[in-house]
Amino acid sequence: MTLDEPPPGVIAGIGAGALRVAQEIGGILLLTAEVVRALVAPRIDTRELWKNLYKMGNRSVPIVVLTALFAGGLMTLQTGPFVKKFGATALAGWAAGYAVLREMGPILIALMFSGRVGANNTAELSTMTVTEQLDGLRALAIDPVGFLVVPRVLAMMVTLVALTVIGDLVALLGAAVVAHAMLDIEWSTMFHSFADNLRPFDFLHGVYKSIAFGGAIAVSSCYFGVTVRGGAVGVGRAVNAAVVAAAVSIMLLDFLLTYLTG
Amino acid sequence: MTAFIEYRDVTKAFAGKPVLRGMNLAIARGEVMFIIGTSGVGKSVTIKHLIGLLRIDGGEIWFDGRRVDRLPERALAPLRKRIGMVFQSSTLFDSMTLAENVALPLRKHQRMAWTAALDEARRRLAQVYMAEHAERYPAELSDGMRKRAAIARTLALDPEVVLFDEPTTGLDPISARRIDRLIRELAGSLGVTAVVVSHDLASTFAIADRVAFLYQGVVHVVAAPGELRASPDPIVQQFITGRSSGPMETPGF
Amino acid sequence: MPDAELPRARWLHQRIEGAGAAALAALEAAVELWRVYVATWAGIVRRVARRRAHGRPRGELARQLYSIGNRSLVFIAVTLGFIGMVMTYEACLQLARVTGDFSQVGSQFLRLIISDFGPTLTGLMLATRVGAGIAAEIGSMKVTEQIDALRMSGVLPIDYLIVPRFIASLVMTLVLAVFGAVVMYTAGGLTAKYSFGVNLGLYFDASQVRARHVVLLVIKAIAFGAAIPVVAGFCGLRARGSSEGVGWATTAAVIGGSFAVIVLDFVISAAALFVTGGDL
Repeated sequence: MTLDEPPPGVIAGIGAGALRVAQEIGGILLLTAEVVRALVAPRIDTRELWKNLYKMGNRSVPIVVLTALFAGGLMTLQTGPFVKKFGATALAGWAAGYAVLREMGPILIALMFSGRVGANNTAELSTMTVTEQLDGLRALAIDPVGFLVVPRVLAMMVTLVALTVIGDLVALLGAAVVAHAMLDIEWSTMFHSFADNLRPFDFLHGVYKSIAFGGAIAVSSCYFGVTVRGGAVGVGRAVNAAVVAAAVSIMLLDFLLTYLTG
Repeated sequence: MTAFIEYRDVTKAFAGKPVLRGMNLAIARGEVMFIIGTSGVGKSVTIKHLIGLLRIDGGEIWFDGRRVDRLPERALAPLRKRIGMVFQSSTLFDSMTLAENVALPLRKHQRMAWTAALDEARRRLAQVYMAEHAERYPAELSDGMRKRAAIARTLALDPEVVLFDEPTTGLDPISARRIDRLIRELAGSLGVTAVVVSHDLASTFAIADRVAFLYQGVVHVVAAPGELRASPDPIVQQFITGRSSGPMETPGF
Repeated sequence: MPDAELPRARWLHQRIEGAGAAALAALEAAVELWRVYVATWAGIVRRVARRRAHGRPRGELARQLYSIGNRSLVFIAVTLGFIGMVMTYEACLQLARVTGDFSQVGSQFLRLIISDFGPTLTGLMLATRVGAGIAAEIGSMKVTEQIDALRMSGVLPIDYLIVPRFIASLVMTLVLAVFGAVVMYTAGGLTAKYSFGVNLGLYFDASQVRARHVVLLVIKAIAFGAAIPVVAGFCGLRARGSSEGVGWATTAAVIGGSFAVIVLDFVISAAALFVTGGDL
């Protein structure tokens, strides 16, 4: 009673998989082009934009804050003992903070965002598509991209950037808490370490990664939402595909951006 | 005299299986045309082609003297303002109240301010006897009510043609008759051309001006309801009397 | 009954009520989740005790192993590969700025990958891919009433649906964690060599790896492998409505699974730190 097909021949399977991925990438790029075109026009429904901003922000703040606390704590757990062993406790804040601001913060927050908001968005859009509401919009001569997709993409990007900023700060706090509670490093040591060693550029580096992540999560989430086929089952598949695509895009973009901006 | 809406030799296949195999149909302005046939024969597909929600494989579709089947998506907007469609599942937007639903096309196409659009929306809901439910959400209402609200929304832009995809399917008989009356009123008082896809023979014989019987991908016969009922064709007779055995091929049984 | 004279008092009362209700709902969900977990183990015991395949589809376990394992290979390879490259790049960048000494990069990175990043990142990726998949499948079955149909033919949904996925996930998460660690480390090595000229012989150095790191990998992988399908199955079984319900179930499974991975990682790491007395 599983929904997976039986394992195909290996080569055929790889070929079919590659084709499907190529098709999806193509579709996502096309949708991106349409979104950009609509943004430039500008053809944005402002009511929908505010509605989505409110909804997405509201929904994601608690989980992101919690995740950020744990992420910061984790980074300290990993780097702290090492730093202590070498007696460089003054650098403890730097070690944990650097990892948080540039990498772990933006990535984990983006992943959680993709799960909380991205998946939800795909679920909503695919439910709308399956119940013909999308066709209903087209029949009323209202462009679904301008009305549904663009406001959501904008809202998601803006929300993720805000969340990354908040989350980064909360993560630093988490790092300090764990450092104090488990490694007996003083609050003041940590905070001075942050202040002395972390440059604004490190913070911004994480933030503009989040802009790229936000865009990737948003467009792929909308794409899988509107191209869904097949009822309740299709909705589940669409959400699955959306979160996987988002995860891969986040890692890929992280890689590209790190190499390009150093 | 050319017809208002015309399908010429339209063909369409889904995943290799042919659904429409040379469909020909002419619809006059202001008439109520019913399209009937068994399930899966391509009725809904037919009307979706008219406004470009689906694309035909071959043939031509003409509307008001212009060919419309080749228009790109962007050029379809004017067409869709003149031809409205009421879907089978009502397709009201779940996240908006009825008034907001009806106000949406008004705001988008007539550039009304939101409050003005809402007032106009309430007026239109009153036309379909739904005024007291204007502030409620679609999920709270019965199918019949949602259907009427969907009709109000489609009428918001004053289209010349309204397509109905199985408007009475799934409704209780009283609601179904109400919808029939509404469709008849539209044609009568507003001069709207109605193209109705239906399974409901009671509706068909009650309000249709003409009936097109779709069978095996072509229009098998098109006639006024009285002529249809008196038709000597055994296939037509089998369908309208609802016999399960006879000369009709029903795939899958 | 509170005095609703002051609108402010009423607002506060409503807020507290809301928070209380939310807390109770969360507690109820947590209890239910624990029950599903226990029932899963009960199902495993039943499966082992019962040799004949009563009510169990043939080859379901194999199908799940394939679905969770083989079909995640590329995904894990791509995601962990990229992040391995990024991490190495960042670390080397900082080292170049501070000490210029790359001799420790490979050995320390390996230690961290084995004890933490390998299993955790694998776990996070699987929480999205596998968690969403399981919740979507089970959720669709729930809303199309197939679960009820199962119950009526005398089969426990937990035994039939969740147990095979649970076992498959335990096994495959461990396998994929090791695989992911290898990919991550290798990708990092290539980055170190081609971007910073680090000698590969110097990089591939296992001297800092202790038995306890490998133990941590195994414990974490097993913990994540257990948590993900239970959370996902739980969310799937709770789906209600139609397509919206499936959408909700899938979303909840992804967040729940990801969050569980992060929290478990933190708890296990902290415990390990405590046990080894501060020496990781």
